[in-house]
Amino acid sequence: MAYIEIKDATKWYPHKSGKLRDIFRKDKSFVKAVDGVNLSMDRGEILGVIGESGCGKSTLGRMLTRLEDPTKGDVLVDGVSTAELIKKDPLKFRRTVQIVFQNPFDTFTPRDTIQKILLRPLKHHKIGSSKEERLEIIKKALEAGGLVPAEDIMQRYPHELSGGQLQRISIIRAMFLNPSFIIADEPVSMLDVSVRADIINMLIDLARNHDASVVFISHDIALTRYISDHVAVMYLGKVVEYGTADEVINNPKHPYTKALISNCASIDPFEELATIAIEGEPPTPINPGPGCYFAPRCSMACEECLKKYPERYEVSPGHYACCDRIES
Amino acid sequence: MNTVLSVQNMNVTYVNKSKRVMAVRNASFSISKGDSLGLVGESGSGKSTLAIALLGLLPKETTEITGKAIFLEDTDLLSISEKEMNELRWKKLAVVFQKAMNSLSPVHRISTVFEDIYRVHEPHATKEEIHAATVRLLKLVNLPERVYHLYPHEMSGGMLQRVAIAMSLLHSPQLLIFDEATTALDVVTQGQILKEIVQMEKELETTRIMITHDMSVVSSSCNKVAVMYAGEIVEFGYVKNVMVHPQHPYTKALLKSFPALKGEKRKMESIPGFLPDLSKEIPACVFAPRCAYATERCRAEKPLFHSREDGSGTACFLTEGGAD
Amino acid sequence: MKAVLSKCLRAFKADGQLRFGVIGVIVLLLVIILAPILAPHDPYSYEFVRLLPPGSEDHFLGTNHMGQDVYSMLIFGVGTSLKVALISALISGALGVLIGGLGGFLGGWVDQVVSEIINIFLMIPTFFLILLIISLFGNSIANVMIVIGITTWPGNAKLMRAQALSLRERTFVRSAVALGETKTQILFKYILPNGIFPVVANTTRSMAGAILTEASLSFLGLGDPNIISWGQMIYQGKSYITSAWWISAFSGIAVILTVIVFYMLGDGLNHVLNPKYNYGRSK
Repeated sequence: MAYIEIKDATKWYPHKSGKLRDIFRKDKSFVKAVDGVNLSMDRGEILGVIGESGCGKSTLGRMLTRLEDPTKGDVLVDGVSTAELIKKDPLKFRRTVQIVFQNPFDTFTPRDTIQKILLRPLKHHKIGSSKEERLEIIKKALEAGGLVPAEDIMQRYPHELSGGQLQRISIIRAMFLNPSFIIADEPVSMLDVSVRADIINMLIDLARNHDASVVFISHDIALTRYISDHVAVMYLGKVVEYGTADEVINNPKHPYTKALISNCASIDPFEELATIAIEGEPPTPINPGPGCYFAPRCSMACEECLKKYPERYEVSPGHYACCDRIES
Repeated sequence: MNTVLSVQNMNVTYVNKSKRVMAVRNASFSISKGDSLGLVGESGSGKSTLAIALLGLLPKETTEITGKAIFLEDTDLLSISEKEMNELRWKKLAVVFQKAMNSLSPVHRISTVFEDIYRVHEPHATKEEIHAATVRLLKLVNLPERVYHLYPHEMSGGMLQRVAIAMSLLHSPQLLIFDEATTALDVVTQGQILKEIVQMEKELETTRIMITHDMSVVSSSCNKVAVMYAGEIVEFGYVKNVMVHPQHPYTKALLKSFPALKGEKRKMESIPGFLPDLSKEIPACVFAPRCAYATERCRAEKPLFHSREDGSGTACFLTEGGAD
Repeated sequence: MKAVLSKCLRAFKADGQLRFGVIGVIVLLLVIILAPILAPHDPYSYEFVRLLPPGSEDHFLGTNHMGQDVYSMLIFGVGTSLKVALISALISGALGVLIGGLGGFLGGWVDQVVSEIINIFLMIPTFFLILLIISLFGNSIANVMIVIGITTWPGNAKLMRAQALSLRERTFVRSAVALGETKTQILFKYILPNGIFPVVANTTRSMAGAILTEASLSFLGLGDPNIISWGQMIYQGKSYITSAWWISAFSGIAVILTVIVFYMLGDGLNHVLNPKYNYGRSK
């Protein structure tokens, strides 16, 4: 059995038109932000989740960390249901599952020093027995993360540090709790290009040397390929393609993945861009279906596609795609 | 060669009571007709300041601009009056910003906005004239004709950005400046717009400066590239040379921070250290403190921009004479 | 601590309104402390020389119809005004912050109930409510302060609620949730400290309003008759306005000056406590 199992993760928001008749309507419509996602991960694996804005990848991340309650579904960590864990022992759940946010400039309260900010979770989770011991833990962790001189950093306020430094501190703080499941929601998209590698390498280190399973949510496909073992492509709340990173990105099968990857600007100026155009823009996921959600924009769509949601096919071992019209 | 814009020794300094921040220092480059130049750099590199200064959009009280920016042989963008600048804007010089979608008035239809802008320079144009001109441009950026009658809130971000691009083309300007114009867009939309821009340029022969932090955007849409660091242009050249054989250590390091989409995975590396304090004179190479190859000389003396015949070159002691 | 102090000092130097307000409040406080020295007469002592005009020997702002020294009354009136301002502002601020903060932070039905209560209170004509309560429960100064406090909190609650609503979505609040902090901890550690400053500024400004309200009540004869307050002086001077203008005039000027001081302090605080304000330091 896989170490992490995401089972039927679903988040529907009731869709309000803002009119009074909403109250009386029985057939409520829903925004299906995340719609039945099933994924599994091994220990120490990094899973990349890619997709355009509005595809539900961030909602998925927030749901996995229970910052939002799922409408349906559960996540098993090492066979333990997190839905039950959070009811029985919320602090233990927090120690198991951690998140790294997109905006490092807003991750820490602006009114406290880094030292104060980092002491809080240690105290809250009773890590270290005295203040001195906790300060020592913080100092060591900062130094290990390349934040030197640690004593100086600890006395600073968040706005006095750079985005790269803050994001490293954010990861360090998550690591204090020794989590086994970490969600990184666009952790580098707000950072300068030249410091991204630090964060990426820290996340890789987390997976390889601390045996944590990492979900890496990003819209940067090249970066996701670099960091991930497996990649899941999301479109309108559903995973449309899943496989090993190289397989999905070099040999995409789903028409959406194909278009997505073909539109990626490459830094190689000699690479001819054979972009596949997609008609229109991603629609909002208000009551999509019943057919394939991508069908209205898909160049390969036929009658059948508009009628029922396609099955999941294993196109090659470990590589899955949800499309009825894949030529193998 | 038909030079559209020639920037010579341009400096931009932000001044306030206690500090003088030299955001752009001694920048020189030129761009000829029909060419496309990517201006890349990270935050704090001065790339946006440079563009905004060229457009005369910096507040006069708090900035000092020196140098020259000769536009179309006779106009110096840096010394003309606001009135003269207004004459040029839209007509000969147009700009598209990152959040162009936010700059469209929410209570007016697209048609109204286009009419207003068109009439700035052609006060007597008829509605039909403007409609015809607009529809042609909308087609160019892959938008259907019905967009003309829509309100901004009825369109997605990608469509609005396309509208903004079409709007900038309204008077067929000689020079287009895109300031992170595709940054906020989705991968697919960005890819398509970039493609459209390149295609459009073949038809219209416009000249374009593309300001971005994303090397891959430059790589797939520009002919030349200027790499900026800490307010200075450290490398200039053809995209096909710079991206494959970068000369300046900063360009090299920056390219290493971008993972490749295809092929083998190179190890991603960060550039250690921080941007220097721009409020102080730097008498040495600006990149030396973070450079893996810096020598004594780099820390003591300022390398000048060493340019070859075609204008390409670097500001680095290690690459003087063009040797790698 | 040192950093906070130096920040305050910079803000003090940079913001003219704040400077005016702070100095004004310090002067008012000094007047309260030094009242027995500053006042040449006991304001409660009645003399035979009534309605002496200003400039008289021994009573340079004159005396009132009871023969009390107007100048000494003004000095002792500062204490009443400040007490009313401070305590009613504290009540109004505390209520507003707690109720508004809870509503905004918890959201859902709590927020709906809170919003409706705020709206109802905003709709009630406050001054008439005050009049009603005072006439029902008596006109002691304590009642006046409490009533002003509980009728002005909705403004603060509205501000705090808006702050809490936006803070709730901030990443640092989310990350506190992800680290397992409880709702109470988050409310007191993140929401209130980060959102309280506009309320502080608003409360300071509403102190000016409280002073005016107390004066108005006294003017209508609903003040506490056992203490000296400026409003009371204006009220008493009303009947003599043609023959002895100074009774009302000087106390009126005192009210205006104090109100301006608090208003300036509030406005200055509003500038300085704004997170975007950079304390006169360049970026």
